[in-house]
Amino acid sequence: MSPFAQLRLLLFRSLREGGRNPVLAYALPIIIPLAVLVLVAKTLYRVTDLPGFPTSNYAEWMTPAIIMLTAMTGVGYAATSLVVDIQSGFLDRLRLLDVRPPALLMSRVLFDVVRVVPAGAVLLVVGLLLGTRLNEGVLGVVLLFGLLVLWAAAYGGLYFVVALTTGNAQAPLALAPLFLPLQFLSTQFVPRSLLPGWVQAVAAWNPFTYMVDAARAMTTGPMTFAPVAKAVGVALAMLVVTQTASLRAYKRASGGL
Amino acid sequence: MSPRIAIEVDELTKEFPGGVRALDGVSFTVDEGEVFGYLGRNGAGKSTTVRILTTLLRPTSGTARVLGHDVSSDGGAVRKVFGAALQDAALDELMTGREHLEMAARLAGRSKAQSVARAAELLESFGLRAAADRIAAGYSGGMRRRLDVAMAMVRRPEVLFLDEPTTGLDPQGRRAVWDLVGDLRDTGSTVFLTTQYLAEADELSGRVAVVHDGRIAAIGSPQELKDRLGTTTVRIRVPDADEQRIRDAVAPNAVAPAADGWLEITVQGGEAAVPAVVGQLTGAGAQVDRLSIRAPSLEDVFVSLTGTQIESSPGGADHGKITAVRRGLGVPSGPGR
Repeated sequence: MSPFAQLRLLLFRSLREGGRNPVLAYALPIIIPLAVLVLVAKTLYRVTDLPGFPTSNYAEWMTPAIIMLTAMTGVGYAATSLVVDIQSGFLDRLRLLDVRPPALLMSRVLFDVVRVVPAGAVLLVVGLLLGTRLNEGVLGVVLLFGLLVLWAAAYGGLYFVVALTTGNAQAPLALAPLFLPLQFLSTQFVPRSLLPGWVQAVAAWNPFTYMVDAARAMTTGPMTFAPVAKAVGVALAMLVVTQTASLRAYKRASGGL
Repeated sequence: MSPRIAIEVDELTKEFPGGVRALDGVSFTVDEGEVFGYLGRNGAGKSTTVRILTTLLRPTSGTARVLGHDVSSDGGAVRKVFGAALQDAALDELMTGREHLEMAARLAGRSKAQSVARAAELLESFGLRAAADRIAAGYSGGMRRRLDVAMAMVRRPEVLFLDEPTTGLDPQGRRAVWDLVGDLRDTGSTVFLTTQYLAEADELSGRVAVVHDGRIAAIGSPQELKDRLGTTTVRIRVPDADEQRIRDAVAPNAVAPAADGWLEITVQGGEAAVPAVVGQLTGAGAQVDRLSIRAPSLEDVFVSLTGTQIESSPGGADHGKITAVRRGLGVPSGPGR
């Protein structure tokens, strides 16, 4: 069986398994972003009255950022499952069937990536209901989801590194709250100009800032080259760093590739 | 015509980082069509051996071949000819029995239709048809093990590795696995079976290797090992007056007066040694009223090999030698205790 066919089979296995655990696999990525979006849009909407705020509808300001947030609240499940696969001997079983170990790792990474798509779609629909306009049309939405899956793979890599390095299936749980500071130390809630000086400095080093800025460019517009290119560059760099580290940790944890 | 060699292991060693020497020069061969028992305590090196033979672990030195294919240099060819159920049934809790088997068949290169058919066939022959569409999380220990072995059979392997297939099973589950191995034996499969249960090795294996501290302590059929390394207990009932006579005849340092008249004589070797003992007794002029024999068990062999570090290889030398004469119904002790 070709490595690609193996990967497809293993990805199918993950998706089916997710279907048997739908709350954890598919609903959890949606819940926190949905709560944040709806609560914030309905309680803090007067933020837009601040001088210099670019939009008049706070939900419209928040929706693109919240869609990118689903990548950060959704990951972790797959990294946990991978550690269980190693510890239960399931990976050994696959090896005996001539599956190359990276196929299993990749199937889990892709599973994380696939799971954020329905979550992003739900948030997009809710955002539209709250008055968000898609000024950049279909192209913008397609690019938005492209960036979302790239970001999910990049950010999810952190979870794989932690899970595989510690060999502890529960360890990724400890990383879950990381999205909180990343959210506040970015341009998610207010534009850069309204952030305190030190937060502006930190936000410039926060990869999530670039995802939020690009997501806004792709939805509410205007879509210019700079924010999109920066976001793709940052996400790709993070993807390479985290997935290289996770592949190394995987190699150690699984006893060689 | 001598049978082909299925597994050939030569001077295998495995040292883990940190200097733990799990295998220390292990050599043996397994013939095709043989059920080979690999008996040892936890930590003796059983699983390390299986993991090397199944290409999951590289040996530090030495060679191992399965049906002629070297496990280190030709792993791909080796994996095509064996099936393995490793320690702890490796199942995905959220997959059904049928899905496990279909996925394994697909990964082994069968088409979708072939995989569906093979899975149905295996579910039937392993008695899992009724549970086929339930997820593994709800399976009993025996069912899990059966599914695990069924997965190992997906490729119709010529050699089957079963690593402690009954550990943790209830008696019913154990019996089911024993029946399974019995069927495999009857159909001429080669089975490499590790176990820490003596009765299991005795019941199932044509030959047994006793492994201890990373070395092979003895190899042979259970009967051979018992004859060579076991002890037979001869219980006799004699008139009180003859007790001293017997002590003089068979072992000068034994025998205290026995309340009920029974004496126990421990003889090195199998039942074949008994006539000689009887001859000695009658030769000494003792009148033996009654006599019963407790045949050696593999447990005696195991204790004598691993508990008291007896050298196994030459054998024979002590055959028939009476090592102790004791009173009552105590458990026979190994020599040198």
